[in-house]
Amino acid sequence: MTKPFFVEQFGSTMDAVGPVLQAALRSLIEHGWVEPDQKFYAQLCLEEAIVNAVDHGNECDPSKQVRVEMAEEGDICIIRVFDEGRGFSPCEVNQPQLEQLNGRGICLIRWCMEIVTYDKERKCLEMRMRRKGIDRKGCAK
Amino acid sequence: MPGDAHAAQRYRSQGVCKVSETLVEFEVRGAITIGVIKAGSVLDAMNVSQFGAQVGSYVRQNTGLRLLLDFHLVEYLSSAVLTELLRVNQACKEGGGELRLCALNADIKKVFEITNLDKLFTIYPGPMEESLIKFARSLSIAAEETAWSHVTKE
Repeated sequence: MTKPFFVEQFGSTMDAVGPVLQAALRSLIEHGWVEPDQKFYAQLCLEEAIVNAVDHGNECDPSKQVRVEMAEEGDICIIRVFDEGRGFSPCEVNQPQLEQLNGRGICLIRWCMEIVTYDKERKCLEMRMRRKGIDRKGCAK
Repeated sequence: MPGDAHAAQRYRSQGVCKVSETLVEFEVRGAITIGVIKAGSVLDAMNVSQFGAQVGSYVRQNTGLRLLLDFHLVEYLSSAVLTELLRVNQACKEGGGELRLCALNADIKKVFEITNLDKLFTIYPGPMEESLIKFARSLSIAAEETAWSHVTKE
């Protein structure tokens, strides 16, 4: 992976999610990956991935770290969210039953992003999106 | 104060996250209660538990509540909000009432479609006043059908 244009690491508390999320979004906008007025789906994917890492991965343990990295490879933006949890496979997460309370975050990410993978060894959720592709997909309304 | 707590403090002082404000204002209009979400345009992981607690508490205090949640001020929500809405929906049903939603923007409506929750919730596409009329009409029709079914049984 080329040198990331964004790297942020923090202890796993929900209070820390907001500032990192906003900083990551600003960075995506500054680097031309997302239009400022069409950031809904980028914000959604970042929030779902970071909250999952903090809450489900690290179980809100402030001593465990979450790292967010973003890098570009040609027309693709790679977003990686690392945690210190037990890991999971996004392919094995099915659409939840209608009244089931949880499990929709990863479904939303899979819908929005081109490719979603999880590296169990590095405990890293990787999301790939094309330049402004996420906006076009979201804006197909 | 650790670094991330400093950051969170800054985040709040910038007005991005309004955790202490009332997120939903309720108004009773006949048989239906309208809940206007005034979340400063954002319902996310930072204020979602407050949103759920406030609406959930109101629903439990008002048995049989017919609640119309008005999203016209909401520009963004995450899956955490969907979880809270499912809890509120369940609480409404347990109290003999029901929850319906209106005035969702196109992006938020899409989130409901992706997650299939548009099949669970009754969502009115129009603004609140129009949705209120439709909700009230459906209640009248349901009441009439109940009355007729009693007549038929007799």
